[in-house]
Amino acid sequence: MTEETMEEKVSRLEKEKEEYLEGWKRAKADFLNMKKEEEERVREFIKFGNEAIIRSMVSVLESFYLGLMAWKEETPEKKGMMLVRAQLEETLKKYGVEIIQAKIGEEFNPEKHECLLLEASESPTGTITEEVEKGYALYGKIIRPVRVKVSK
Amino acid sequence: MSKILGIDLGTTNSAMAVMEGGEPRIIENHEGNRTTPSIVAVSKGNERLVGLLAKRQAVVNQKNTVFSVKRLIGRKFDDENVKKDKAWLPYELRKAKNGGVEVKMGDAWNSPETISAMILQKLKADAEAKLGEKIEEAVITVPAYFDDSERQATIQAGEIAGLKIRRIINEPTAAALAYGLNKEKNEKIVVYDFGGGTFDISVLEVGDDTVEVKATGGDTHLGGDDFDQRILKYLVEEYKKQEGIDISKDPLAVQRLKEAAEKAKLELSTAMQTEINIPYITSDASGPKHFALTMTRAKLEELVKDFIDKSIALIKETVTASAPKGAGLKLSEINEIILVGGQTRMPAIQKAVKDLFGKEPHKNINPDEVVALGAAIQAGILQGDVKDILLLDVTPLTLSIETMGGVATAMISKNTTVPTSKSQVFSTAADNQPSVEIHILQGERPMASDNKTLARFILDGIPPSPRGIPQIEVTFDIDANSILNVKAKDKATGKEQSVRIEAVTSLNKEEVERLKKEAAEFAAEDERKKELIEIRNRAETAIYTAEKTLKDHGEKISAEAKTIIEEKTKKTQEAKDGDDKEATEKATQELMEELQKVGSSMYNKETPETPETPETPEAPAEGENASSESNQ
Repeated sequence: MTEETMEEKVSRLEKEKEEYLEGWKRAKADFLNMKKEEEERVREFIKFGNEAIIRSMVSVLESFYLGLMAWKEETPEKKGMMLVRAQLEETLKKYGVEIIQAKIGEEFNPEKHECLLLEASESPTGTITEEVEKGYALYGKIIRPVRVKVSK
Repeated sequence: MSKILGIDLGTTNSAMAVMEGGEPRIIENHEGNRTTPSIVAVSKGNERLVGLLAKRQAVVNQKNTVFSVKRLIGRKFDDENVKKDKAWLPYELRKAKNGGVEVKMGDAWNSPETISAMILQKLKADAEAKLGEKIEEAVITVPAYFDDSERQATIQAGEIAGLKIRRIINEPTAAALAYGLNKEKNEKIVVYDFGGGTFDISVLEVGDDTVEVKATGGDTHLGGDDFDQRILKYLVEEYKKQEGIDISKDPLAVQRLKEAAEKAKLELSTAMQTEINIPYITSDASGPKHFALTMTRAKLEELVKDFIDKSIALIKETVTASAPKGAGLKLSEINEIILVGGQTRMPAIQKAVKDLFGKEPHKNINPDEVVALGAAIQAGILQGDVKDILLLDVTPLTLSIETMGGVATAMISKNTTVPTSKSQVFSTAADNQPSVEIHILQGERPMASDNKTLARFILDGIPPSPRGIPQIEVTFDIDANSILNVKAKDKATGKEQSVRIEAVTSLNKEEVERLKKEAAEFAAEDERKKELIEIRNRAETAIYTAEKTLKDHGEKISAEAKTIIEEKTKKTQEAKDGDDKEATEKATQELMEELQKVGSSMYNKETPETPETPETPEAPAEGENASSESNQ
């Protein structure tokens, strides 16, 4: 009788032990996994932490392009401003920014293009007829698509 | 068991969240965004696009880009609302065989359920990729006014997407869950949800873990997008006034203006005015044209005043009108107000709501995410996460021991999750000290006497040795049941002593708050006291070193140096006994300098056979005076 209950007790305790050990292992694994995820998150944070600033800078860069395009005479002053633009581009490149451009005649691809306008043209339907604004990617993530006009 | 996904399937945007470690967390989609546009399209190449990609190609593919499908789900084609929506939606609709609606996308006619399923499928796939596990079940939220057929259709959409819908919950209920208001008893809650395209008001009554919808109201065609349109229109008109040019025909200019309008709206939530600068917005024969305008918060509020007024009138109606139009309550009977939807970030809206009810609305959870977070909490409850979660306690106050001069030295700081264990090695404060007293304290004040004593015990039998030599290891260990075990062990003899203190984390809330408040109040004074003690401790160490040096090496020190040291020791002792911090510090400094001189001269004397010590140039330089004198 007593031995029976003893056995029962042992088996119950064994089961409990297994359960606790399992719980402990899980907790430890959870912790280690969380640490890894945290590291990953910190890495992502460092990479994309300045995304907001870069997004705003990209608008400034776009205004630069427009300004230089509107500047018709080739003066040393214009050349200087072109160099300032290049400087800004270089700086952004250092922080993981890649400029994306669309080729005329290229097929429209929403992965990187955004269509602003459909226009009648001789090119095949659904191809790009004009790049209106450049696109930008930060470490491969599109933060602003290339804005284009598409043939209808 | 796989996780249950909480999904806020919105009219304009959707979001998703899961429970992680007992807390809901938003999951970013594949594009790295926390919300996904509820837009689906089929491209010319018959490729299905969902979310941001569908939005980007909307202009190219207007007829095959479907948005706002939530307005159609579960409705009859002959429904008045459907008729109204049909007039402005750019895609084609027709009556289905069962009397419902069908939407044309590509070559196929789809039910709204199928379209919604495509959004859900993307969310499911993105969540699986982010979490690295299969998602098979979900909780989806719907507006409180959704009828049975609309709810059934939403469940079907989930099933088409390969999700088992564990529950459909109301969006306002999800928001209340996110704020933890479901536990309140007999509370009446108003949820003010101003989304991108819809405005919903819900009056809820919470009691005994149930949430009952008392009334719903709002305007299904009023949202944040209307605000953006108003600002855009204003900017276009202003430009016409300034430059005489209508830029509404130039798609690039409109695009840039739209962005500027959205940015201005966001900025005016925190700033009183903002600069809208768009250089080279367009050009004419005379050259490039720019856009520059200062917009004030007052101007924005004036532009959208009628929208806000309308929303407030609608709340009044929904709360006070008698059933079935409203909840038949007085405004003063409402206990809590929750703000949902991005547009509620606008201070004028927050103020209007606050003024109406005469109390502060809940708004600290991101209003774009609160519904998805609530859905995840509901998912967690179904999964057992919320109930069964292993709740780990934290220490409410710092646990410390008293060290030299009555300072409380922290062992386990407050808010540490238990079980935990910390140890630190301490030593004696006097020569041949036979025992140490371990005085265990709880509280945030730097001085031991200001904190609460939990226990004291003595570890004796420390072999005679100079101060600072014995190594007493003190260990604080709190187990999962909040029982604190403090152990002190003399590393030399292995002798140890310990004490057990029950329930150190179970202080009542008021006491913890009182102690924390006290600590903050006395922070500056305490800091001064502690600093004085530290200076005194340093002075004591210097006096001790001086006395020991004279005793141990007296014969090697010149009479003259001895007198100086004795004098300075006396001065330090006097300063230390007084309250003058600066004087003590200065006297200690001088005494230490004197001792250093003696020390280096002794070093020079002890090594006379190696007069050339080029590798230690600083030693002779520093002790130059002392050494030349004492070498005589």
